[in-house]
Amino acid sequence: MFSTWCQRIFGALLVAGLCGAPVHAGSDSPIDSETLAKNRKANEVCFACHSPAGIAKPPRADLDMSKLADSRVEPEIFNKADHGVMDCRQCHSSKHYGAEYPHGAAGKTETSPCNECHAAKQLRLEPQFNASVHAKVEGVKEKFTCNTCHNVHVNVLALRLKDPAKIVEQDNHGCLACHNSDATFARFAPASDKMPGQKKARPDIDTIHEWLPNTKAHWKAVRCVECHTPEVAAGKMLSHEILNKEKAEKKCLTCHSADSSLKTRLYRHMVKDEQQRLGFTNSVILSNSYVIGATRHPELDRIVIGFIVLTLAGVLGHGAVRFIAALRRRKNGEKQ
Amino acid sequence: MTERIYLLPLWIRLWHWSNALLIITLSVTGFSLHFADPKLPLVEFSLAARLHQVAGIALVALYAFFVVANLVTGNWWQYIPKPPGIIERCWVQAKWYMFGIFRGEPHPYRVSEETNFNALQALSYWFIMYMVMPLMLLSGLLFLFPEFAPDRVFGFDGLLPVAVVHYLTGAVIVMFMIAHIYLGTTGTTATSMFKTMINGWHEHVGPEESRHGDRRHADRRGS
Repeated sequence: MFSTWCQRIFGALLVAGLCGAPVHAGSDSPIDSETLAKNRKANEVCFACHSPAGIAKPPRADLDMSKLADSRVEPEIFNKADHGVMDCRQCHSSKHYGAEYPHGAAGKTETSPCNECHAAKQLRLEPQFNASVHAKVEGVKEKFTCNTCHNVHVNVLALRLKDPAKIVEQDNHGCLACHNSDATFARFAPASDKMPGQKKARPDIDTIHEWLPNTKAHWKAVRCVECHTPEVAAGKMLSHEILNKEKAEKKCLTCHSADSSLKTRLYRHMVKDEQQRLGFTNSVILSNSYVIGATRHPELDRIVIGFIVLTLAGVLGHGAVRFIAALRRRKNGEKQ
Repeated sequence: MTERIYLLPLWIRLWHWSNALLIITLSVTGFSLHFADPKLPLVEFSLAARLHQVAGIALVALYAFFVVANLVTGNWWQYIPKPPGIIERCWVQAKWYMFGIFRGEPHPYRVSEETNFNALQALSYWFIMYMVMPLMLLSGLLFLFPEFAPDRVFGFDGLLPVAVVHYLTGAVIVMFMIAHIYLGTTGTTATSMFKTMINGWHEHVGPEESRHGDRRHADRRGS
């Protein structure tokens, strides 16, 4: 019992560190290199089986390979993830650890819930999640955990990832893993309204986004949640209220304008570095994507508009003088 | 005395008006996209994006037709500014636009079946059709197929130089279009050039009837 509480306290301290600093081992790490080395060494015991290498070459002959495949973790990816500095046992009970096989029957239920470390965050996010489409559909809410969208063995905080392209790839994977896979979608899907006894079929992701021009380009450049979450104040964390297609943002100008909401969303972590590089508005966005309407050069726009106005004024002025001159010639001709 | 010559075959007229329609569509939708602002709604953004894409692809096809038809019919020669004395001829034409037109002087250039354009026309049409248009169309195609654009340029997205070229060449074409429509009113009458572009027949008024016709040119030819 005492050791469990020690682990939880350590976990909470670790999370407090994660929120404010990069987590990789080194001078900025929230844990010292000795503890990190100890954790990594301990995790090697788990990865002996729960890794691609372990599955390819099982250390024991009596392993249930289908169950093992479901609990596979990529050590290289995990070590770079936010939780990668931790000992597996901090979340997965120590009863699972070591040579004891098969592990405890309680298995996954003994995995620590996220709120053991992230209690404050859960308190803040739970009302948002409860308002989201995933919580409102009957029978779906209970199947959802943080890990459903945020893979704890993989995910890295946007603040640490920095590169918007990597943030997009990671976060959209969380959505598309279900919304672009019939098998995974079926695990969460509610009963079908139209076909009794069957589950709701997965709507085709391309079909439901047909209204959106250059759909594929959008999915590479922005996250699903840019449109499928409500607007939040500048500097605030993105809402966890996932909006359905009726409520999702459909006004293109929300992003495609000088006051682009991308500044408070995907580029939230970079916006403090905005320096209007080379005179461009939203140059932090331009570092990753050219977003028409948002990434403009006001000086260039003024010059272009100026030339167009001059051309218009020139032809109108020329035409007016021509007209007056023709009238005067006609008048003079009539007099003669 | 009015003289009529059949100047513009059907394919040129069809190309011209299709080109005009597409350029106007692309200008309006392009403006809506670039200057997208909730306070300045022109064409709804997603509609503008789709229209711009469709009209852009159509313009690429139309330009390809224009180039091939010009090569096949030999019409390309009309667009080539012919060097001997071109600066002098341009200056004569410019002087007429600046001064002569207001005094009702005759047009300094007489259109013929062999040479449709005056020196300034040939020079500006050549510049727009063979220099600016290809740049605008190529940059537009790169927008459609961004995988062919460079990944990064000076720490920015590689589409930035493509976008700047597309924007500037588009602006040049809009300015050309404004001037082109206005200069269309400088024929024998304000509408005669538009009629020529519809029916193919160019009319010029004989020297004794000319309001600002070709007396000087006719005199020179006669001398």
